[in-house]
Amino acid sequence: MLISELIEKTGWKPVTKNVDLNTEITGVYCGDLLSWVMGNGEPGQAWITVQVHMNIIAVSKLREFSCILIADGANLPEEIAARAEEEEIAVIETGIPVFETAKKMIEAGV
Amino acid sequence: MFYDLHMHSCLSPCAENEMTPNNICNMALIKELDLIALTDHNSTKQLPAFVKAAEATGMKVLCGCEIQTIEEVHILGLFRRLEDTYPFQEWIDMHMPDIPNRTDFFGDQLICDENDQVIGTEDRLLLVSLDVSLEETVDKIHECGGAAVLAHVLDRENSVTNQLGFIPMGLPYDGLEVKTPEQKQRVLDTHPWIRENDTVWLIDSDAHRLIDISEREHEISDKDFSRLWGDRI
Repeated sequence: MLISELIEKTGWKPVTKNVDLNTEITGVYCGDLLSWVMGNGEPGQAWITVQVHMNIIAVSKLREFSCILIADGANLPEEIAARAEEEEIAVIETGIPVFETAKKMIEAGV
Repeated sequence: MFYDLHMHSCLSPCAENEMTPNNICNMALIKELDLIALTDHNSTKQLPAFVKAAEATGMKVLCGCEIQTIEEVHILGLFRRLEDTYPFQEWIDMHMPDIPNRTDFFGDQLICDENDQVIGTEDRLLLVSLDVSLEETVDKIHECGGAAVLAHVLDRENSVTNQLGFIPMGLPYDGLEVKTPEQKQRVLDTHPWIRENDTVWLIDSDAHRLIDISEREHEISDKDFSRLWGDRI
């Protein structure tokens, strides 16, 4: 499924602008401990986290995630959104808890 | 100066109740240290008694605090004057969640006077994250005149590398704390953007019991000591 299709099905809005949404989501990874995510995430996965530190951009690049989903009402600071745009990483705020986010993705067919 | 700049008093729930201000200072004397700092979790409330207890011993002390940020990273704020910690405590109070301590599970959080008499308790649990980022915490420590030291940077719990994967580029910390010289080399090997002379390296005990306070093993030069604060007097 493409990021654009996920957005269409869930109604979630990307907080990053002008980032290509025609990237394939191959699976989902959930985690907030960045050392753990760096060691276990796989390319193409959509990454669900509540961590909104600048380091998530580097971790996402390193693991080649398709996009980052910020869950549970956490908000991405503007400077981190700007950096995500520079690195062409789509970041989406779901506004619902991690488990609900994952459920909604399964319902959408990821 | 032989130092130990990371230790917890009986105010930290995880520390032994034997870690009273006078016991800490006297154990540091026995171990022939020249410089110590008290760094309780998310609180500076033991520092007035600590400073007074130290005065009697002639020990050089710093007023410290170990903050847990929203990313669950531990960072030390080291202040040269007790009064610098007052606005810092106000800031902690604004950002700490109000969760009651359960002493049967977490332990006591005792506040002493300079004679080690318990004069109060902290009733909010101190083993929590403040709702501030690592970057905001470094800024606040600097604003209050302190030095910001990333604590036990390679630990598996609450270290910057465990929580955030690596030490963020451009974070204006003043020192990095490791457990061994080998850990220092590992930090340098895994962080090509950090050079050895960029920062002050500390090896502290993180003592929660008297016996764990550092021996006379780790030395800091006067130059490195001053460098911790840079231009912030």
